[in-house]
Amino acid sequence: MQLIKIYGDILENKFKAKELKDDFWKSKEIKIITGNIVDETPEDVPESAGPTLKPNVTDLREWDMKLLERYEPFYAPFCDMCCLCTYGKCDLTEGKKGACGIDIEAQQARTVLLACCIGSAAHSGHARHLLEYLIDKHGKELPIDLGMNIDIEAPIMRVVLGKHPKNLGDLKDGLNYLEEQMVHLLSACHTGQEGKSVDFESKALHAGLMDNLGKEIGDLAQIVALNMPKGEDAPLVELGMGSVKKEKPIVLCIGHNVAPGAGIIDYMEDQELEDDVEVCGICCAALDITRYNSRAKVVGPMSKQLKFVRSGVADVVVVDEQCVRTDILEEARKNRACVITTTDKICLGLPDMTHADPDIIVRKLVNDEVEGVLIQDPDKVGEVATRVALKISKERKSIKKLPNLEEIQEMSKECTQCGWCIRVCPNSLNMKEAVEGAMESNFTKFQELYENDVCYTCGRCEQECEVDLPLISMLTKVGEHYVKNEKYNVRAGRGPVQDVEIRRVGAPLVLGDIPGVIAFVGCSNYPEGADDVAKMAEEFLERNYIVVTSGCGAMSIGEYRDEEGKTLYERYSGDFDAKGLVNVGSCVSNAHIPGACIKIANIFAKKPLEGNFQEIADYILNRVGACGVAWGAFSQKAAAIATGINRWGIPVVVGPHGTKYRRLFLGRADKTEKWRVNDLRAGKVMEGEPAPEHLLYAAENREEATVAIVKLCIRPTDTTKGRQIKLNNYIDLHKKYFGTIPHDIYKFVRTEKDIPITYKKEVLKILEDDEWEPKAILQEPSLMDFKEEIVSGGK
Amino acid sequence: MDERVIPWQPTVIAGPKQALLVTPETAEMMIQKAKRPLLVIGPLINDSPAQTLSTKIAEKWDIPMVSTGDAFKSLSEADVQSRAYGLVEIVNLLKDPDWEGLKGDGQHDLVLFVGVLYYMGSQGLSTLKHFAPHIKTLTICRFFHSNADASFPNMNEGEWLKYLEKLAK
Repeated sequence: MQLIKIYGDILENKFKAKELKDDFWKSKEIKIITGNIVDETPEDVPESAGPTLKPNVTDLREWDMKLLERYEPFYAPFCDMCCLCTYGKCDLTEGKKGACGIDIEAQQARTVLLACCIGSAAHSGHARHLLEYLIDKHGKELPIDLGMNIDIEAPIMRVVLGKHPKNLGDLKDGLNYLEEQMVHLLSACHTGQEGKSVDFESKALHAGLMDNLGKEIGDLAQIVALNMPKGEDAPLVELGMGSVKKEKPIVLCIGHNVAPGAGIIDYMEDQELEDDVEVCGICCAALDITRYNSRAKVVGPMSKQLKFVRSGVADVVVVDEQCVRTDILEEARKNRACVITTTDKICLGLPDMTHADPDIIVRKLVNDEVEGVLIQDPDKVGEVATRVALKISKERKSIKKLPNLEEIQEMSKECTQCGWCIRVCPNSLNMKEAVEGAMESNFTKFQELYENDVCYTCGRCEQECEVDLPLISMLTKVGEHYVKNEKYNVRAGRGPVQDVEIRRVGAPLVLGDIPGVIAFVGCSNYPEGADDVAKMAEEFLERNYIVVTSGCGAMSIGEYRDEEGKTLYERYSGDFDAKGLVNVGSCVSNAHIPGACIKIANIFAKKPLEGNFQEIADYILNRVGACGVAWGAFSQKAAAIATGINRWGIPVVVGPHGTKYRRLFLGRADKTEKWRVNDLRAGKVMEGEPAPEHLLYAAENREEATVAIVKLCIRPTDTTKGRQIKLNNYIDLHKKYFGTIPHDIYKFVRTEKDIPITYKKEVLKILEDDEWEPKAILQEPSLMDFKEEIVSGGK
Repeated sequence: MDERVIPWQPTVIAGPKQALLVTPETAEMMIQKAKRPLLVIGPLINDSPAQTLSTKIAEKWDIPMVSTGDAFKSLSEADVQSRAYGLVEIVNLLKDPDWEGLKGDGQHDLVLFVGVLYYMGSQGLSTLKHFAPHIKTLTICRFFHSNADASFPNMNEGEWLKYLEKLAK
């Protein structure tokens, strides 16, 4: 590395070779390996590359500090103590520091960094698995070709590494780089390393960026190698527990890695068994299998996991990685389903039969000689899972999997009515009331919990029940007769947004004519059921926003029908345009969401990408009205996703459970000095607007979130027409959910022309009361390069 | 242990510092002692007798009100004035000793919470416990909040309404 750096410096004329210190030339065993040096200089990096190619942990710290100064971390400690080392537990209340010197703020930030590292590693570990497997299968020369409409194939990789990956092998460079970064980031969590919360946060933002990169690599690899949709319109695929044909042998895939599912599909096609075996999935594995083959079925988001496994419908359960119940083996075995684990992330104590003869594995599973097996070979998984399902399905059909309604009534009479099922429920759902009803053969309350995944079946109530009632099995049974109606659809993940679409919407988005891009991502830890996500999406689609989605959020949106029985995917196109509902795919496909914003900066505003992170993020923050929503965020991956999105300057709204991540990034609209920007075109520092007001915000309910989201799409560069549209939405929705015009409306009116005509009279009255004065409309606002004192806030 | 003073969601227990269990009488003393109290009222009690009683408490003691979630609409429809903030927004303002307060006469010294989503309220109270030594927190929900300085115990609906009635009288 030393040689390479010197070589690079010479190229940049920082000094001449002869000026190198004598000691250097006198050193022994200097090896100059020309080939390696040339390899380290990416051939396709333009001379205009920006200052942050392959940024190390602190290289983007200046940008992070700008963000953190405006959007200060807000901490809500989940725990008053630190228990990470043997000095502890240390009490960090009332300003006390731990034995290592850490305070409560830094400890929260450290925990956030740790969560982001875990989440980022989960995506990147997944990407590494996929990439190695796909290179093994298709060769490292397989081209990265996304077709005629996409030239910027890997916007994040271009910005971060300055690299245009041309083939699968090129993607390895990205993983090698981020894995090194992740080691440094994780090491900062060790006792006696970082000590300031803002620096932990800067590192968390870096972990988020690595998460973005890992996801992009993972999705690109699977798109090109498995011929998934390349940004084009994708078909509607079946969704819902009722879409699975129970009479057939059924293989269920749970997790996120498509490879085992693809192996199953391939085997079935090779053996012409497509019509004989049903393949379905839960969580992102399901979405990605349907991107590979649209015949596969999506059972639903992870909220279905326990009830679907308890229902006993699946003959074989194949798990890969992330968001799989860790007691999946125990749960599946209750119904004598076979379990196959497929990656090093989840082994569950099972024998590794990766290299065994498939005939032997099938025999052992069918004869119950083993509880399950670990097979780290997707093709072999395909064969074994299919053959086992075919062999055991018939016999399993006769097994009684759930108690019948009479038994549920009898079991309910055992209830002591202690009420602890309610207290341990994450959403304090009234399971006791449901059981009390069942005692009288009234299952209405159970039904209410079942429908719309109001109860997402985490099973904590069962763990607490002092008489061991199988509450989730009871719920599942009661819901069984609804299952046949649970037939919905979801548009298969289309992958990236096309460059041509960006050309079409770039201007209206930046100017505000299209009021924003709203992305529903993440998990299903919803406070009040799954349809809240769909209702929000519907609200924004009707108002001309571009709605993007992925993962469990995409599935939850598909589970909602309007009065005419249509899903939102049937009502709205999959175009990245106003009123478009774009399912990009699985968790790893989330990378295409910041990717689209990056492309806007590049294609519309001609911002160079390579090594130019700060300029791109600065542009997005100030000009692109995008907002992420992770309404049911529960995982460390969701923490990394949101933090990564934030670093690009994109605000995110999480649901109320999101406060348990311990940290938000909140702006202070009342502090005008926080919103100053450097107007690059005017050449002076100006008073700005609180837009976007927060970077990471948690809302208490859907109503609050809906209003917050539209407000977070406001940007300083909106044209007056664009601002009118955005304020019209803000006022409309505030009136709908709060009954009035928002009290802070005056903060977002720069001139009277910004006021929506419909509300002109009322808003003018508010402006008058607030002694409002017109403000200059910023031309090219930036958080960077503050060189002058405040010049003006007015015209 | 008395189940009335185990946090309603038992796993929110954060550490050694626990709330003081209070009766309406003690709560009244805390309000009397405060110079600039504030009531934060959440959407869980929209359109309920508890909301009516809570607003009566505010009226009796001349306590300004912040509504969170979408509670603003429910209160407005009942002709009750409040200022709408997100729960995390108002907690963020409360933790700043220099915030001018809802009336502009200085930061509050006592904040009452009622009707806020339990676990989210618990997180907000944790923020104030750690970062707002200038403020006392009192929860008058029917659930015990261990992260508050003082809290009503876990109660059934009937007992809780009696507690609120006492405080409103």
